[in-house]
Amino acid sequence: MKKLVLICSLIFIYSCETDVTSDITLAGSAPRLVINGGIERNTTTPLTEQRIRLTTTTGFLDDTDPLPVTNATIIVNDGNQDFEFLHTENGIYTNSGITASLNTSYTITIQWQGETYQGSDTLNEVTNFDNVYAVFEEETLFTDEGYFVKFDSTDPADIANFYYYRVFRNGEFVIVPDPGNSRTLVESDEFFDGLQRIEVNPNEEVIFELGDAAIIQQLGISEAYYEYLLELFVQTGNQGLSFVGNPPPASIRSNVFNLDTPSNRVLGYFYAADVEEESLIISE
Amino acid sequence: MKIFVNIVLGFFLITLQAQEKYTLSGYVKDAASGESLWAVTIITGSNQGTVTNDYGFYSITLPEGTYNVQLSLMGYKTSAQEIYIDKDTKLDFELEEDIAQLSEVTITSSGAKRTASVKSTEMSVIQLSSKTIKKLPVVLGEPDILRSIQLLPGVSSVNDASSGFNVRGGSADQNLVLLDDATIYNASHLFGFFSVFNTDAVKDLKLYKGGIPSIYGGRLSSVLDVKQKEGNIKKFGGTLGLGLIASKAMIEGPIGKGSNDEGKGSFMLAGRRSYIDLFAPLGGDDFQDTKLSFYDINLKTNYTINENNRLFLSGYFGRDVFELGSLLGTVWGNASGTLRWTSELNDKLFLQTSAIFSNYDYNLDNLRSGTEFRWNSNILNYNLKPRLTWYINDKNTIRTGLDVTYYNFQPGEIKPLEGSSVNPEKFREKFALESAAYVDFEQRISDKLSLQYGIRLSNFNRIGKDVILQYETGNPLTYNAVQDIYEENDVVGETEFGSGKSIENFYGFEPRFSARYLINDQNSLKLSYNRNYQYLHLISNTTSATPLDVWAPSGPFLKPQYSDQIALGYFRSFADGAYDFNIETYYKSLQDVTDFIDGADLLFTENIETQVAQGDGRAYGLELQVNKNKGKLTGWLSYTLARTERNVLGINNNEYYPANNDQLHELNLVGIYKLNDRWDFGANFVFGSGKPVTYPTGQYEQNGLVVADYQNRNGDRLPAYHRLDVSATLNPKKGKRGSWIFSIANLYNRQNAASIFFREISEVNDMDVATGETQATKLSYFGIVPSITYQFRF
Repeated sequence: MKKLVLICSLIFIYSCETDVTSDITLAGSAPRLVINGGIERNTTTPLTEQRIRLTTTTGFLDDTDPLPVTNATIIVNDGNQDFEFLHTENGIYTNSGITASLNTSYTITIQWQGETYQGSDTLNEVTNFDNVYAVFEEETLFTDEGYFVKFDSTDPADIANFYYYRVFRNGEFVIVPDPGNSRTLVESDEFFDGLQRIEVNPNEEVIFELGDAAIIQQLGISEAYYEYLLELFVQTGNQGLSFVGNPPPASIRSNVFNLDTPSNRVLGYFYAADVEEESLIISE
Repeated sequence: MKIFVNIVLGFFLITLQAQEKYTLSGYVKDAASGESLWAVTIITGSNQGTVTNDYGFYSITLPEGTYNVQLSLMGYKTSAQEIYIDKDTKLDFELEEDIAQLSEVTITSSGAKRTASVKSTEMSVIQLSSKTIKKLPVVLGEPDILRSIQLLPGVSSVNDASSGFNVRGGSADQNLVLLDDATIYNASHLFGFFSVFNTDAVKDLKLYKGGIPSIYGGRLSSVLDVKQKEGNIKKFGGTLGLGLIASKAMIEGPIGKGSNDEGKGSFMLAGRRSYIDLFAPLGGDDFQDTKLSFYDINLKTNYTINENNRLFLSGYFGRDVFELGSLLGTVWGNASGTLRWTSELNDKLFLQTSAIFSNYDYNLDNLRSGTEFRWNSNILNYNLKPRLTWYINDKNTIRTGLDVTYYNFQPGEIKPLEGSSVNPEKFREKFALESAAYVDFEQRISDKLSLQYGIRLSNFNRIGKDVILQYETGNPLTYNAVQDIYEENDVVGETEFGSGKSIENFYGFEPRFSARYLINDQNSLKLSYNRNYQYLHLISNTTSATPLDVWAPSGPFLKPQYSDQIALGYFRSFADGAYDFNIETYYKSLQDVTDFIDGADLLFTENIETQVAQGDGRAYGLELQVNKNKGKLTGWLSYTLARTERNVLGINNNEYYPANNDQLHELNLVGIYKLNDRWDFGANFVFGSGKPVTYPTGQYEQNGLVVADYQNRNGDRLPAYHRLDVSATLNPKKGKRGSWIFSIANLYNRQNAASIFFREISEVNDMDVATGETQATKLSYFGIVPSITYQFRF
């Protein structure tokens, strides 16, 4: 998809991109709390623990790793019971007592630096893959040649379903900032409710070689998380071309709110998702 | 109502005053082609005169006597004739093109020159002929109307790759773009690099930036009225143009056999096609499945039924095609047809009636495996515009008429392609009827003071068949001030409306006024005020117009937008009209303009009301222009100082923020130099201070990607924009017909920033990976672009 820029360059003869990082000085802002994580129900490879990471923001052009937040208190309630997440390392908090269940609303409460943050999400059931397989494809305008993992899946009729796709290559989660993400990694069944989709590529940027181990996951997510991710992928895939969509960007709003000082907002999302997973070794 | 009574009273008074006078009327035409000439100034005595209308018709009522009638129009030789009037007289005039003036850039900006403004009270109006436009340096070898008007004060470009334009702080959708009276909804080809107007098919244009007369309505900021050529009524001919991007052909000629070696009518047919796609194979296999092209066809015919009645039929059809391999394809275009009938009911009453059809539609094909589908959307309207002009006497003219439009919006229909797993679905169609009645008075109070005033009463009726959703609190969105966020309300029910049943009715009272005070022959002052209503909203989350933008009608959840503009101007001419100077200042306030809420998703969204918020805007500025109208070197210098801001609840912490098109300084310098009979040289220089941009204030990681955080909308500025273009035209030798136009756009290769955007670097050694490293990137569209065009007349 990145090559879209290349095509446009060719077509419009001299259009070009210049790295101006060193010319730009950004005003920056006070660090904000960032949440990254949620509750996942995976019946294929059951999780031993649930993980949530807390960090703070850094300047956009700063070349630093996210700053971990190690001294917060995190409680997740499943409607009946509180579960405390404890800090392990590098801003990661875990809990192994909580059981992810369908049709359950999870509420997170974070206490940090004297302020309380709260938000919730609901875990909805996801449908299975009908079939998962590898397909070899020639080089195209947008991608190099190689093997792609594809799937068939039948959407349950008469309920609104929202999907998020994750692909792992040799055990490592792969994602690339790309304009195509917003149309590939998340899907709403608005236009295919109740139908079987075939040969769907869950991530067009991930190419496999023979012998690679592939895992693909189909996550059932809430509508609110779908909208959050859609905006996230639109913004991270922005190529600056006004005619393919270049809205003045805005802060992507979290589902977690600061109860004490609303304007001191938290960023990121606390999600709950059901995970359908398949794995395969790429062969001819 | 009181105003109405006054107007009617005034009307009778005027009639009573009419005494023993006779009417001189007729048409003014081009001597060579027989094309009717628009806006010709006709002077019959000291400060007495009139101007021809859109069809070249004039009428003036005078006491018995001998008059020295002078006709003048930029680019034509002034004609003078002594006429004795002792009865109502019909007289047609022909004007000859002034060869010496042909290379001059002529721009009529309601200047102070007596000849141009004896009768005109118009201000903030610019008139450009297609001949002038063709003299200006061009980008990619294709003269373009929309790029030319961007060289004028108060008109700015959306960006290099956009034919969208902003007038006095208005957004691109607030311009009423008319082609032979038909509304053009998307004036761009190739995503905006070209406009839909083929200069070979266009006669001239008028742009109203303010003081918009009551005969026009429906948009807030400007009216661009483009007229197609009628075609040569005396002999067959044509032109052929070969450019680097597109080629075009135009033929014209008489129809039937009339009097004086003229036809009973004439026709003009023009076509244009791009051929960038023909070069695509040069890009190798990669580009095999890539398509990008456009074409358009213009047609105009007219037929003289009898002395007093003429019929005109004009049409436009254009298409763009863009396809990217197995990813997406899109086709879009405008189609319009106008049938007009003009009738001189008598020598003082001129009736014109237009029946118009206009359609804009696009397809978007999603070609990704598994969910291939085609998405269709269109906006269709039928429009009827009768107008009666009454030339009461040499001091008073009244125009009155109706403007009725029926709209059918098809927001979208989805169909599966190649038997893919997509359910066919159709978003609800929407219907509306927009009607307006107007009256416009042009009145000369004294030798010095002229007025033009009128009102337009408009009504917009959203009608069924439709289903309107009911939201929990009555509104689709609720602004949560504590969290500074819009929350979507639940749908609790729906109301069905039968076919033709009124859903919501809006009324607009639109007064218009302009006055001109002639201090002396060289100086005049002008003042204008206008209120305009706009009932259609272009919902777009991009800074420039894209083919996929959605036009949404006002209705239960979307209020009409309206604006008030006041402008004051001073005009002066020097050295017998060789130079003129004008300065105008304006203040414009806008109400209920739409902006999308943060994070809006517009494509494939049926209930658009859940994605937009309405707020206010303000724009003010100062425009200066100096024209050099005579001599070997002609041209203009213009400067604009302007500010444009918006205030929308929930955006930018509820504070005023710069609109996307806010630009503090803009300077244009345009010159054409005529070296000799064969060579013309042209140059233009453009400078604009930086437009707003939103820079990120921080970064964080989410789902493996680096995400930017933002605070204030449009809080930063792009670098300043400047560019120099030059051109040279080699005109044919006597008896030869071909001419060459060489031009170089952006001569000193300035990489102007169309945008600066921030992203995570996603490529290392040609491998796609998320690196976690960030970058600021400047995108520019044109460096230096040479081009060559060959034009042949036959």
